[in-house]
Amino acid sequence: MNVRPMSPKISRRHLLHSTSCGFGFLALSALCQERALGAASALTDKVAKIPARAKRVIFLCMSGGPAQLDTFDYKPQTGNKKHPGSVFPFSRHGESGLWISELMPETAKQADKLCLLNGMHADTGNHAQSFHQLHTGDRLRSRPSLGAWINYGLGTANQNLPGFVSLNTAKPQSYSSAFLPSVYQGSPIGVNGEDMSQATLPNITGDHLPVRLKRRQLDLIQAMNREHQSSRLDDDALEAVIESMELGFRMQTDAPGLLDTSNEPASVLERYRVGHSVSEGTCKPSDFGRQCLLARRFAEAGVRFIEVNHGSWDQHKNHRRDLKANCESTDAPVAALLEDLEQRGLLEDTLVVWGGEFGRPGLTPEDGKDETGHNANGFTFWLAGGGVKGGHVHGSTDETGARAVEGKVHFRDLHATILHLMGLPANDLTYHYEGRNHRLTGPEGGKVVTEIFA
Amino acid sequence: MRWLFYPAGFLALTLPVPEAGAKDISPEDNAFFESRIRPALVKYCYECHSSESKKLGGKLLLDTGEDLRKGGESGAVLVAGKPDDSLLIQALRWEDNLEMPPKEQLPEPVIADFVKWVAMGAPDPRKKAEVPVAPPSITATSHWSFQPVKNPTPPETANDAWAFDPIDQFILAGIEAAGLAPAGDAPPETLVRRLYLDLTGLAPTFAQVAAFVEDHNTRGRGAVEALVDELLESPHFGERWGRHWLDVARFGESNGNDGLSRNATFPHAWRYRDYVIAAFNRDTPYVRFITEQIAGDLLPAADDAERDRNLVATGFLALGAKPAKAMNENFDMDVIDDQIAAVGSGILGISVACARCHDHKHDPIPTRDYYALAGIFQSTETLWGFAAHEKLTAPPTDLHVLKTPALIPPPPGFVETVVPTESDTGKAREIPKSTLPPGTPLAMGVRDRKEPADARINLKGESKKLGDQVPRGYLTACVMPGETVVEEKSSSGRLEFARWLTRDDHPLTARVMVNRIWLHLFGQGIVDTPDDFGVYGNDPSHPELLDYLATRFRNEEKWSMKGLIRTLVLSRTYQLDSIADESTIAKDPANQRYARHLRRRLDAEAIRDRILQASDELDPRPGEGSIIRHRDILVNKAGDLHEPSRHRSVFLCYLRNSPPPELAPFDLPDGTVVKGKREVSALPVQALFLLNSPFVVEQSRILARKLLLDSPADDQALASAAIRRVLAREPLDGETDRATSLVRDADVQLHDSHPDASLRREVAWAVYCQGLLASNEFRYID
Repeated sequence: MNVRPMSPKISRRHLLHSTSCGFGFLALSALCQERALGAASALTDKVAKIPARAKRVIFLCMSGGPAQLDTFDYKPQTGNKKHPGSVFPFSRHGESGLWISELMPETAKQADKLCLLNGMHADTGNHAQSFHQLHTGDRLRSRPSLGAWINYGLGTANQNLPGFVSLNTAKPQSYSSAFLPSVYQGSPIGVNGEDMSQATLPNITGDHLPVRLKRRQLDLIQAMNREHQSSRLDDDALEAVIESMELGFRMQTDAPGLLDTSNEPASVLERYRVGHSVSEGTCKPSDFGRQCLLARRFAEAGVRFIEVNHGSWDQHKNHRRDLKANCESTDAPVAALLEDLEQRGLLEDTLVVWGGEFGRPGLTPEDGKDETGHNANGFTFWLAGGGVKGGHVHGSTDETGARAVEGKVHFRDLHATILHLMGLPANDLTYHYEGRNHRLTGPEGGKVVTEIFA
Repeated sequence: MRWLFYPAGFLALTLPVPEAGAKDISPEDNAFFESRIRPALVKYCYECHSSESKKLGGKLLLDTGEDLRKGGESGAVLVAGKPDDSLLIQALRWEDNLEMPPKEQLPEPVIADFVKWVAMGAPDPRKKAEVPVAPPSITATSHWSFQPVKNPTPPETANDAWAFDPIDQFILAGIEAAGLAPAGDAPPETLVRRLYLDLTGLAPTFAQVAAFVEDHNTRGRGAVEALVDELLESPHFGERWGRHWLDVARFGESNGNDGLSRNATFPHAWRYRDYVIAAFNRDTPYVRFITEQIAGDLLPAADDAERDRNLVATGFLALGAKPAKAMNENFDMDVIDDQIAAVGSGILGISVACARCHDHKHDPIPTRDYYALAGIFQSTETLWGFAAHEKLTAPPTDLHVLKTPALIPPPPGFVETVVPTESDTGKAREIPKSTLPPGTPLAMGVRDRKEPADARINLKGESKKLGDQVPRGYLTACVMPGETVVEEKSSSGRLEFARWLTRDDHPLTARVMVNRIWLHLFGQGIVDTPDDFGVYGNDPSHPELLDYLATRFRNEEKWSMKGLIRTLVLSRTYQLDSIADESTIAKDPANQRYARHLRRRLDAEAIRDRILQASDELDPRPGEGSIIRHRDILVNKAGDLHEPSRHRSVFLCYLRNSPPPELAPFDLPDGTVVKGKREVSALPVQALFLLNSPFVVEQSRILARKLLLDSPADDQALASAAIRRVLAREPLDGETDRATSLVRDADVQLHDSHPDASLRREVAWAVYCQGLLASNEFRYID
């Protein structure tokens, strides 16, 4: 039987890739030698191009469209005629006196850390498209998500963990690397409604072989993979698999300990409300407390981008009951996370981002209605830590909360701002694909909201 | 002219283009205006900018060319030939604080049409007298996928000796037009792997590869044809292609999380799986296949076996994931919505489901169409079974009682340990006694309600707020001559619906299926959004080829899926090498022109099957039933239900939200939505599966053990045998040395943990075998 000769052709692009990133041919030369764990790879910690204010992002993704007018954007009644606005009571909190609703009592105690963006707006009130745009900048096509872009721009800070972790996620496109090398794709933990209290990375441990022998085995696999790849150099997927094999291998050393929260003191578990899930209407049990605790632990371990998910905030009916449940599920864990990050000195370079794909129109008090729809014309995000002002409000909506009127921030501006805070020049962070340069902020580009920088 | 395809209703409502106007502008310009610009003006602009508008915005009328030239209070809106200087375009682009339409920016392609139109000089046939009235769906009817399927003549190509089949002419014409040249033909040892895996999902053995290569050396394409025919006749064909359809059918053996964390088993769903596999193996014509799934219960049957088969087929409509009934007034409509979504995205390639609450913003599906379809399903009773005896989940229903399969009672001594509980107290509840003998063969499915009726529109999707009653019918965007309303009022109308779907002149049905089949053989679709042929979907890369194939599928292949698959794999395009020269790849990195074959990763099922093949543990017989066939329970209360199996992956238990652990890492669909194209990710969890999972570790050990039994002493021979067994090829230079070196190292490192020398030798060889199983060569198919 004939075996095909190996073609020696190597493209310029591949050569550049391999040499600049180091790993390319090292594996071949490492064929017969023991290799140290954590060798250099394409994920080396690259240097940021502008001074970075933040080193990592924790994105608290509130899917379904959280009702901003009953959480962070206070719209009291004005004039004689009742109009849509807030239906839950608000009061002022912290030294900054931010208005926060009674549904968020614990988060309210962290008011001086929050930077409210009350003038958010987006293009569409369709969940799927807006959710996609929030994550990727594009409404329709498969595009890399924010976490993938950040890891592409900065590389990883911990060789033994993925640079991008997505907890309790249901939509692969929200952690997709799309056309970016798939090594920048997020690693999901807890997918498709899996019980978050048990969620882990499957097969993260295996004691069937001593670790040194496992490494020796992987060296053989990678040598075979390099040979296989040598006549298929155009195929980025093969390179991505080679890298993911390395990362998977290295994760065995760090991840199991990180995912095991049993060594946390009971008081910490209680502050985060680990294991306390509320299930009511649209509010799904997500063990949000464990997610936030894991987020803190991943942040400490150097994961660049951590997405934490809760939903659904899409309370078309039973607005009051379901919104209350959603707030109750998330309020204390978020507060505990902010508190812990600050106490550990991590908040100053960890950017915490809270928000969903859009917001909701307000209810009119006392008119008996308890249902809301979607509103992409004006809604709220908040940021904390990572070089942004605390106890600050940027932007506003009109008196019924229907439209952003001042300090308008579009998703692409939010993306630009996050990238900028991470030390990446948002509109210059591009990737060439299908004949043109793509960027997260799209053809329009995003405006960095410098007013909120501390 | 394009508007000839508009529905009769549109023609009646719209004045034809006045003669004078038509003379003023060229037919091409006129066609562009009529198909792209007028519909957009009607849909997006006339609400505020027409003489008919309730309140005129910005004193700007857009009713005629003259109006446009005149402009509004902001001045002129058009600079003909200069889109960038035209206020109209700036407004559509939402530049400089002028955002039109104000609520939501137009889709990019629509803006691009306006830009093009202005650049053309804004040719406008409309005169003063014309009344701009048209239904909103007219944009729709100009969308390519709603146009009748054409039968294009294969194009001429410069190289007229290359094509094996007219299909190749369409492809080659595109390759030539792009200034590319096709890659060489795949070497036989590549082609044989591709054919086995694509047609059966199983890899060829070393001997099968060798036999084909020899045959190919003797008789070339004759050998290919013979192998293709053999593989199409293999029962493994249906197991492979049936699984592809199960992705489309959002197949699952449990309900999946109902929103209240309850996940009830569907103990009889596996019968539908077996039906689908058998349908592919018996080559049921696609139109018949669809008809059985939508209206099998209404079809005549020659005997009990046929009757049972038809009933099981309707499981397609019953096995969707359902949200909890508790506190959910819309539950019945949720079930219908899943059915409409499965038929819409799965068969028609159109997402109809958004029209449940409002007129579909971009696709041409008005809410009335949705409820016309809903009436059909509302007149249908869905039988999902006992849904784990939970009234709050999907309350128990009847099931079809089958006549021909054997009665298989639970094994002696079987006692269900996962029992339903009272929701308030948590106390165990008694399982309701069935009136049927234990083990009675049952099937999920549908049947007609006794009193079929038209549905009423649920305002904003709320079942409590009812609007107009809508006569049962179909999608008005699919314009075909003949009836659009269900005539038969004494039945649900499902059979007529199936007949409508399977009409020869249906613009979507054949195109969508041809594209699905193409996708599985070529790694990407001609329309690469296989479940969405609507406005949001991708345009076809080869529209003529798509139509040619759809026509051929219908006329020549007589809707035979095997026939179409055979035709495609015998094309030269399919048989191209996946390795091409650098410039071809550089010019067409995404392989839009098919100048080479796309390398693909095996899917979850094929990876597991191939591992079991390598260890010679695969039981090639069909798996019988399901591990949950006697268990009406809540999966979430049961813990891990999966059991080791040696059957092919398609026979594992596809519980929603609790997928088989051996398949889960490799992008298995979740079974809640139609999934015509799986993701292909490269995640570290996959690496961890290959390196650490009990399954791969065990199969490696078994493989090592078997190899050692065959040739216990000779390490070089063992290495060669392992490579032949796993990769079905001869070792490369140095490859066996590399193996023996690893095994020697392993032996040293395992010395203390494994004092027994023969056991240690087995483990050491297992380390090597696992390496082969984890390699890219094993998982990727050229």
